[in-house]
Amino acid sequence: MKVNVNLRLKDIPGQLVGALEPISANDGNIRGVVHHHDDRLGGRIAVNVTFEVRNEQALDRIMEVWKKREVDIAKIDAFFDTYPIQYLIVGNIPTKELESLTKALESMENVASIEVRYTGSANSSSRAALVTGKASRKEAITSLDEFFKKRAEKRDYILIRGLDQ
Amino acid sequence: MKVVIAGFGTVGQGIAEVIGMRQELFSKSFRQKVRIVGAFDSSTFVKDAKGLDPGELVARKAATGGVGAKSQEGKIREFIEEYDFDTLIETTPTNILDAEPGYTYIMAALNAGKNVVTSNKGPLALKFRELSRAAERNKVQLRYEASVGGAMPVINLSRELLRGEHIYSLRGILNGTCNFILNRMKDEGLPFDQALREAQEMGIAERDPSYDIDGVDSACKLAILANAIFNMDVTYHDILRTGIRSITEDAIALAAEQKKVVRLIGEINDKRLEVSPRMVPMGHPLAIGGTLNIVQLITDLAGEITVVGRGAGRRETASALLSDLLAILSDDHAKGR
Repeated sequence: MKVNVNLRLKDIPGQLVGALEPISANDGNIRGVVHHHDDRLGGRIAVNVTFEVRNEQALDRIMEVWKKREVDIAKIDAFFDTYPIQYLIVGNIPTKELESLTKALESMENVASIEVRYTGSANSSSRAALVTGKASRKEAITSLDEFFKKRAEKRDYILIRGLDQ
Repeated sequence: MKVVIAGFGTVGQGIAEVIGMRQELFSKSFRQKVRIVGAFDSSTFVKDAKGLDPGELVARKAATGGVGAKSQEGKIREFIEEYDFDTLIETTPTNILDAEPGYTYIMAALNAGKNVVTSNKGPLALKFRELSRAAERNKVQLRYEASVGGAMPVINLSRELLRGEHIYSLRGILNGTCNFILNRMKDEGLPFDQALREAQEMGIAERDPSYDIDGVDSACKLAILANAIFNMDVTYHDILRTGIRSITEDAIALAAEQKKVVRLIGEINDKRLEVSPRMVPMGHPLAIGGTLNIVQLITDLAGEITVVGRGAGRRETASALLSDLLAILSDDHAKGR
């Protein structure tokens, strides 16, 4: 996830390092730091920081450290990067398999949302199921590709991936 | 330039006609004529060092089913090796099992110091490196624009005009028959079998359609592109392949609900060498309809380049063969030959 935060730091040496250090300590990736020297309030300088962190838990840990170090957070915006999940499977897919597939996908790491839509009756010899959703990390798409590839091979489905997957 | 046409089916006849049509261009640009000094099909053969009339060759084929007198079995290879000509135009049918007879003809010509222009996928999809090395060793040209995508000039574009680019990836639709079937399934809600029958009735699909619908044709073309553009060393067997035979109208309808169409896509990048059905957003260049072929290249300097063209047909394939003949003539001209 991408985070953009306006901090207010005391105008004394070491404050900026103290504010940035927890980001690095939590495997964050700092993308930009902008000082607003003109913007002073109560002896504090405004600093805007943009960074990426793995998940909300990492952001919570960073914010805890800021609190302890008396770094004021004037405003914070967090954006989740999402990657579309698009797979269509065709073949003899029993209802139980669809349930099992949905469960397996929901339990996968970094799969933010998942929806499975299908056509055809349970008795039909051929059924199509469309799996759509969002992943919070690109790596999840690689894992999903592998997951669907193996499943399609094992159960003799035709797998139709999205163009950019 | 003296040429011999190997294989006198639709493509062989097409290039004979086009050579007849473009004599003025050859004379003006290169101060020489292109003479057809020999032609043969699977059972008949004709030669004349002074040159054969393309119109007469095509008319004879139509009237008698052959291009000349009955050929002696096993003598074609000797003829290619010993007869005096410059370029073999090889248009025999693709054979993906052992690449014959095209492979023997091409190899014989290259080893005899003759250039080869071919539309035949089999030898290139199975023995690309062997053939390329033979051409290099004998200091002659092996050109094959017509083997992929008919009149869509993707090979010469990539190897010549885009020589300075780093090409990261390629993806495209390389089989017009599959594209037609998938498009009809989506537009009319037809089941696969019905769309296939329609394609067969219109002459778009063969009576035995497996070569197209099982992705064999696309995989052959992708192997050629991987070797020619990405300098890989692969054969048709290295391509991960899924056809369109089992795609249902339900699947097409589900994709359409998401504003996607299903297309048989060939893809080459650092992770994939694959032909498989994919969901393509409607409005995307690869969502193209009809029987057209399309290729998208992603390059470092020019970015995205898309080429579209008719993937098959007598004149279309002849157009690609002609571009290769002209490239050889230009090269010879530049070297003062």
